[in-house]
Amino acid sequence: MSDTQWTVYEVFHQQARGEPHVHVGSVHAPDAESGLILAKEQFGRRQACVNMWVVRADAITASAYADADIFQHGTDKSYREAFGYETTRRAREIGDSQEI
Amino acid sequence: MAVALSETELTGDRRSAIIDLLYRLADDSLIIGHRESEWTGLGPILEEDIAFSSMAQDKMGHALAFYTLLHELAEPNPNQLAFLRSASEFRCCAFVALESFADGQQSPPESLFNNPVRDRLVSQGDWALSCTRQFLFSEADAVRMAALETSSYEPLAQLARKFRGELKYHTMHGRMLIERLGAATEESRRRMSASVDTLFPYALGMFETTKWDKLLEAEGLAPAECTLCERWLEEVGPRLRAAGLEIPKNAEPVCGGRIGRHPAQLARLVDDIQQVRRLDPAASW
Repeated sequence: MSDTQWTVYEVFHQQARGEPHVHVGSVHAPDAESGLILAKEQFGRRQACVNMWVVRADAITASAYADADIFQHGTDKSYREAFGYETTRRAREIGDSQEI
Repeated sequence: MAVALSETELTGDRRSAIIDLLYRLADDSLIIGHRESEWTGLGPILEEDIAFSSMAQDKMGHALAFYTLLHELAEPNPNQLAFLRSASEFRCCAFVALESFADGQQSPPESLFNNPVRDRLVSQGDWALSCTRQFLFSEADAVRMAALETSSYEPLAQLARKFRGELKYHTMHGRMLIERLGAATEESRRRMSASVDTLFPYALGMFETTKWDKLLEAEGLAPAECTLCERWLEEVGPRLRAAGLEIPKNAEPVCGGRIGRHPAQLARLVDDIQQVRRLDPAASW
């Protein structure tokens, strides 16, 4: 019996230009173009969307959950967290005034 | 206000022509929407099931918007128009009313849904026919509504501009199916080809001439049906050929819907959508 299971495409959804594409789920489709068309109705019909990506699921290389400990911090590294800086507000002010 | 102004100008034949046009648009939308919604939960693959249901909702939304324009012109309200008219009062084309079953004698279906059409779709539904209709209809819908974007009846032009994105998606979806299924396998080619042969005469009936054609064109309200049909053929012809599908030669349009002559399938559909309402016609919703 032939394989009737279509390729899985992971779907990424962008709410506004400049925002990041966020993973929202997956669809089965015979090819990427159909994947986009089908993904539109599965994931683009409720929230705002300006752009959508589909990526073959088998093109993604994932880390192992068994290795989740590599993301843990052995010592306090809160200095890496960028809170306390005012760059975002300042950048917006500059952006607003100069319309970059 | 633009709406109020154009309504005060509406008298005589111009008014009658617009009302007739709106009934055709509204009824085509409601009936195709209902037919597509019948596949909800029964589509051959989950993604297509959802896409069909979603496009059906779009068409129901369009129907409501057109019925609302009619109500603004002192016709009955949208609920009355959908639920209290007899089939012969509808002005849709036969194409949208067709049931989507495979040919041939089949055993009676198992009763699953308390709805004979959905029961039959489970075992005898012809998805190829529905796909082909979705393609042929959405191309016509897009051509027609693109032309109506510049209609001199501004409320209608506004709706046409508002629906543009949804209709564009409907055509993208239909083209995707046709391009792939026309040549995917021997079975898909055979079934899509048979669907085109079956549907084409009915599809031509979408462009049935009405007695208001000349007035609508002269007043800049809508292009003549024959003009729309030519534009539609320019869209569907090359796409069908590219998919390896042929337009049947000498297909004769199946007309009558625009003057209330319908196949029995429409009466069954209208009966179906009105059955809950009939249980208690005075109930408020």
